[in-house]
Amino acid sequence: MAEKEYELLEHTADIGIRVRANNINELFKNTASAMFQILAEPKGPMTHAAEEVPVNLNAGNPEQLFVNWLNELLSLSAAKELIFFDFKIKTLENNRLEALVFGRPLENFQINTEIKAATYHELKLEKTESGWLAEVIFDV
Amino acid sequence: MSELWQGPLEKIDNYRWCIPKSYKPGMRVPGIIYADEKLLKDIRQDKAMEQVANVAFLPGIVKASLAMPDIHWGYGFSIGGVAATDIENGGVISPGGVGFDINCGVRLVRTSLTQEDIKDKLKDIVYALFNDIPSGVGSKGDIRVSAREEKEILVKGSKWAVEQGFGTQDDLECTEENGAMQGADPDAVSERAYERGKAQSGTLGSGNHFLEVQVIDQLYDSELCDAFSLNLGQVMVMIHSGSRGLGFQICDDYVRNLMPCLQKYHISVPDRQLVCAPVESPEGRAYLGAMRCAANYAWANRQCLMHLTRRAFEKIFSTSWEKLGMYLIYDVAHNIAKVEKHEVEGKAKNFCIHRKGATRAFGPGHPALPERYKKTGQPVIIPGDMGRNSYLLVGTQKAMEETFGSTCHGAGRVKSRTAAVRSINVNTLLKELESKGIMVKAHGRSTIVEEAPQAYKDVNDVVDVVHNAGISKRVCRMRPLGVIKG
Repeated sequence: MAEKEYELLEHTADIGIRVRANNINELFKNTASAMFQILAEPKGPMTHAAEEVPVNLNAGNPEQLFVNWLNELLSLSAAKELIFFDFKIKTLENNRLEALVFGRPLENFQINTEIKAATYHELKLEKTESGWLAEVIFDV
Repeated sequence: MSELWQGPLEKIDNYRWCIPKSYKPGMRVPGIIYADEKLLKDIRQDKAMEQVANVAFLPGIVKASLAMPDIHWGYGFSIGGVAATDIENGGVISPGGVGFDINCGVRLVRTSLTQEDIKDKLKDIVYALFNDIPSGVGSKGDIRVSAREEKEILVKGSKWAVEQGFGTQDDLECTEENGAMQGADPDAVSERAYERGKAQSGTLGSGNHFLEVQVIDQLYDSELCDAFSLNLGQVMVMIHSGSRGLGFQICDDYVRNLMPCLQKYHISVPDRQLVCAPVESPEGRAYLGAMRCAANYAWANRQCLMHLTRRAFEKIFSTSWEKLGMYLIYDVAHNIAKVEKHEVEGKAKNFCIHRKGATRAFGPGHPALPERYKKTGQPVIIPGDMGRNSYLLVGTQKAMEETFGSTCHGAGRVKSRTAAVRSINVNTLLKELESKGIMVKAHGRSTIVEEAPQAYKDVNDVVDVVHNAGISKRVCRMRPLGVIKG
C-alpha cells in the first residue's frame, strides 16, 4: 500500500481509520499496513534484515477474524519488539487466516503512537460496489 | 466531530441528568449523568451518551448506568462510566468495562519542599526524572524480572516491590487494596501476556501517562488539609500509569475468549465491545482472576515508579527521601472491576462494580480504608491536563449512596488527537506553558500536542460538579511545574 492510503476518522479519545481495497485479502493487508504506519515511521535506512513471523488464526466470523488479526499483530510486535511492514496473506477463507508477516527491530523506527488494541466499537467490514471497506477504532 | 447527540435527557437537578429507560428497548435501567449545563454542551458533542445507554443493556445491572462529568466517547463503555451488576442475579463482568489499560491509575506523593526550595533546581529535577524513569511507547525498564518473579508480582502487587526494597509498609497502607487485589489467578494469564509484561515493570508508558512535579495553589478545607499535612506552596509529585502491555494483552485475550459467551448465556448487547459473561461463570471468574493480576502488576509498577522518583530527588537534594518528606498520600485505580458490598434498596450485598475512567471514592468510616483515613474518607486523586490543575478530593457518604462509592477520574478529552495535531503548534504551546512556569519534557513532540490543555475539558469544571453534587469533597488543588510525558 502506498503511504497514507487510509483516512483518519474523528474520535474524541482514540484513533479511527477507514481503509479501502479491491478484495478482502488486500483489505486485511492494507489495514495492518495503515496501523503500523500510525504506530511508527522508519528512522532512516534499515540496519537489520527483515524477520519473518507466521500468523495462524481462527475465529467465529470474518469481523472477529479481522479484529483478531490486528490485535495479534500488535501483540507480536510488542512481544518480539518488531515493527511489521509487509504482510503476505496465504489463506483467508472460512474464518481462518494464514499469513507471513515481515518486521524489523524497533530501533529502526521512530515510534509515534502506542496502539493498545483494535476494538469492535463501530467496526465495519463490508463489500462495496467498488471493492471492500473497513472502519476500525483503535484504543490509543 | 460527530453530530450532536439528540437523545432524551431529563434534568433531575443542576448536577444530575437522566436518560430514561424508555430511550432504547433493551435498557434495563436508566442512564444518569453527573454534569452541569456547561459540561453537557461538550458531552453532547460525541457518542458518549449513546454509550451510557448501551451499558444499561448489561445483564444484572442495577440502579443506573452512571456517568461522571469527565465522560467522553470511548469504545464500548464511555470513559467516565460506572456500572454495578448484581452477582447473585446473573450480573455480568465485561472486559470492555475496565478497558485495555487495566488499573490505569494515579498516585500522589507529598514532599516537605516548597516551591521556593525547588525554584533553582526545577530543570535538574525534570531532567533527572526524565532520564531515570523509562518512558515512551513500549518503554522497557532497568527493573528486569524472571518469569517466576513476574508471577509473584501478579499475586503480590506493590508488596513485591516493597520486598525488593522499593518502598515501605507505609506505602502499601496508602494504596487502594493495599496494592494487591486478592483472588489474582496467574494461571488465567496467557504466555503472551507474560512475555509482554516481562520488560515493562517500572516504566511510565506513553499517551496520557505522566509524571508531574506540582505545587499546591489552593486549599479548600483546613481540617482536611491538616489531616493530610498539606499547605499552600507545598511541592507534590503525581504519577499516572497503568499495567502496560500485560494489561492490554489480558483485555484482548478475554474480549476474544468471552465472545462465545454472548450466545452461550443468551446475552444481547448493542456493541460487541461490551462482550461479557456472568461473574459467576467459568469465563467470568477466569477474566476476574486475570484482570486482578494486571491490576496488581500496575500497582507494583507505580510503586517502582515512585521509588525511582524518590531516588531522583535524593540525588538532586543529596539527602534521603524521608528527610524530603516524600510520603505517599494515596494511590487509586481508575480502570477496574471490583466485587464490593453496597446497599441497594435497603439490602447490602455483593456487586461487581465496573469503573471505566472513574475513581473509587469511599466515604468516612468505610472498612476498606486504613485507620489514618477512616475519619477523612478515601483520598481521591484527580489529574488534570498539563496546563491547568490537578486535585486531591475525598470520598463521601453520598457517593456510597448514589454512585457505588465512585467519582470522576480526570478532565476528560474534548478534542480528538487528530484535531489537536491539526490545530496546535508545538512551539507556541511550549512557550505558552513556559510563560505559566511549566516545564515539559517528552519523548515525542506529537505527544505534547495530543495532550495539550486545549484537548481537555477544564478539570476545574469537572471537580466543581462532583463537589457540588456531593459525591466527593475538595481538599486542595495543585498546578504543574514540571511535566514528564512518554
